[in-house]
Amino acid sequence: MKKITLAALILLVLLILVIFPQERKESSSPLFEQPLLITSAGQNAEILMASVLAKRAGLDSKLSKIATPKDLVNIKTIVLVLGASSKGLGAAGLDMTKEKERVNLLIEEAQKKTVPLLCLHLGGEARRGPLSDELISAFLPFAKMAIVVKSGNKDGFLSGICEKHDIALVEVEKTADVLTPLKDAFK
Amino acid sequence: MRKKKALFIKNAIFSLITSLLLVFPFSCRPREIEIPEPPSDRHQPYNFVGRRGMVVAAHHLAAKAGLEMLKKGGNAIDAMVTTAFALNASEPFASGIGGGGFMIIYLASENRVTVVDFREKAPSRVPREIFNDEGRIKPDGLAVAVPSALAGWVYSLKKYGTKSLTDVTQEAIRIAENGFEVSQTFSRINKDQYEKILTNAGEGTCYLNKGFPYEPGDLFRNPELASTLKLIASKGIDEFYKGEIAQKVVKAVNEKGGVMDLKDLALYKPVEHPPLKGIYKDYTLFTIPPPSSGGVHMIQLLNIIENWPVRKWGRNSSPYIHHFCEALRFVFADRSRYLGDPDFIKIPVEELISKKYAKQIVSQIKPNSLLDVYPFGRFDERKNDQGNTSHVCVIDKKGNIVSLTHSINHFFGTGIVPENTGFLLNNIMYDFSDDPSSPNALGPYRRPLSSMGPLIMFKKDKPFLILGSPGGTRIFSSLTQIIINIIDFNMSLDEAIEAPRFFTYSSEGKARSISLESRFPEKTIETLKNMGHSIRIREAFDKYFGGSQGILILEDKKLILGGADSRRDGYGAGY
Repeated sequence: MKKITLAALILLVLLILVIFPQERKESSSPLFEQPLLITSAGQNAEILMASVLAKRAGLDSKLSKIATPKDLVNIKTIVLVLGASSKGLGAAGLDMTKEKERVNLLIEEAQKKTVPLLCLHLGGEARRGPLSDELISAFLPFAKMAIVVKSGNKDGFLSGICEKHDIALVEVEKTADVLTPLKDAFK
Repeated sequence: MRKKKALFIKNAIFSLITSLLLVFPFSCRPREIEIPEPPSDRHQPYNFVGRRGMVVAAHHLAAKAGLEMLKKGGNAIDAMVTTAFALNASEPFASGIGGGGFMIIYLASENRVTVVDFREKAPSRVPREIFNDEGRIKPDGLAVAVPSALAGWVYSLKKYGTKSLTDVTQEAIRIAENGFEVSQTFSRINKDQYEKILTNAGEGTCYLNKGFPYEPGDLFRNPELASTLKLIASKGIDEFYKGEIAQKVVKAVNEKGGVMDLKDLALYKPVEHPPLKGIYKDYTLFTIPPPSSGGVHMIQLLNIIENWPVRKWGRNSSPYIHHFCEALRFVFADRSRYLGDPDFIKIPVEELISKKYAKQIVSQIKPNSLLDVYPFGRFDERKNDQGNTSHVCVIDKKGNIVSLTHSINHFFGTGIVPENTGFLLNNIMYDFSDDPSSPNALGPYRRPLSSMGPLIMFKKDKPFLILGSPGGTRIFSSLTQIIINIIDFNMSLDEAIEAPRFFTYSSEGKARSISLESRFPEKTIETLKNMGHSIRIREAFDKYFGGSQGILILEDKKLILGGADSRRDGYGAGY
């Protein structure tokens, strides 16, 4: 009898895992609160796409390309757009060391204030490479959720980090498709 | 019976003659060439092949449009203008009617080379200062110079072409209406320039896909450009320079803080003049004179390099790169000391391109180390300096040639699109120096200094190489490297184009770092570092160094080879 109960239990667990794995990761219940601060890790151009998406989603957002801990006043969520742009870094007068330092300080302060982090990777395959991957590895582990354009995760690099750190991950085909999960993620 | 026999004989003779007439023209034509498919790895060197004619351009649709014009009986000039319009539709972020450029033409029947200069001019009311402390022009409207591409294309079409404006715009209209799949290159540049496009063209522009950058494979259509081109085809270019489009251009520029007048557009005229001539070993080079620096400095570099045993040193070798880079540092000092618009300043062109002056420079260059100080010049790369511009090469069956480089300057220009016109306005004003004492200082009606260098090279008085490139201030360095790759390192055309590139310059008497594509051997890089050069490694195939297009004419084999740069989406179409 015990054996049958155990087998039934295992079966039930397996069934749940088979049926609901995505739901567990891609939680549809809101995880974040407004207002949100949008900034990038790597001074990429996609930060503006995030801002347009937030506007279209009707979210109360503020954009700062070089956000510092001071910008966290009254902020309930940080949206961090991942990906390095040499052109963007140059234009902002930053290098990778300074940029990592800036984002680190921001995250440290956010953690103190229990402000959660939502990471976006919108640049697809073109926004991968040694510099971008360095930033992704450094900051994605702090996220509560990540929304990524599929072509940027062809090699499973982003999903691997999400899996390891138990981060809810949503993959979309195109940048415009980020709108729905972004909207759903906020209260 | 006799009648039947006569009829039979008559029919037989008629059939025979008809068959002969049908077969004869084909038997007279050159053998069709079996062209292998381009390799799946776009960076692998691949020469496009033709026997009668060829067009090489930065987009396959544009090159094919030009080829179709050649096949329909158009000459090289007709095909060049067709390709230029088609590029406006298929590669709108690099050139188009909102920009300008230079072309060099070889007329086979006259054995004459001529240059058409259709460089943009500063508006008459340009302020004394337009650059801010960061070297940026704000507001963006001030970055727009008077668009001149259409005037240049149509000038050459009317003077040397055989087709009408309607004929040469058809393919561009079709491409703009039907659209095409966006490439990785287009998508990447679109993403890079998103902020500018969003700010100046708005979320609803066709240059964004429902407000976001295009992804590879998305369909890009531009019906408004198609309408604009139809209007120009039916009413002529006065519609652009004096009509409704002129009003839209002025309105768009001035709404973004610019100072353009209708008069600025109405007064614009391209100019035609003789080419600049240089000799490198057994080859004669024809290229463009100022207000582009490209031609002068390409000849200057070749004159200097001629003094060194580059073949012995070998390609990618540290002595070759070291010496070339030292030469570039002298050349850039000259660029900022002497070059500008020849209508406003005197430029010592003959001295600069003389062999004697080259020897003077050679005598100052050390074989294994850098100089402590270089001639003083204020040139420096701007933060937003990037790969841009576009090049087209054409040769027709009679041997007429066009080498055209044209641009809207930075990718997507200013991002300003005059209302419902579908074309982008240039930001060529960035090519002026921000130093008021510079020979390239800005002023009313002045043409800013360019780096373009479309060229035609002759071997024993016969056209041998047609070449040109985008790439900002890297243009003449890249073109010189390609020429040396072909002549000294015996590379095939596309091998020479795809080969790894480098670039450097001097600023205020000091050497700047060498930018290198990452494909150079580690040992070479180490040796250069040991010589005292600082090194900046760029992408393996970086469009910072341009996207060159070329045609090589192999007289002895009766072959035309096309080389199209994989740093962008280059393509060759021959027949």
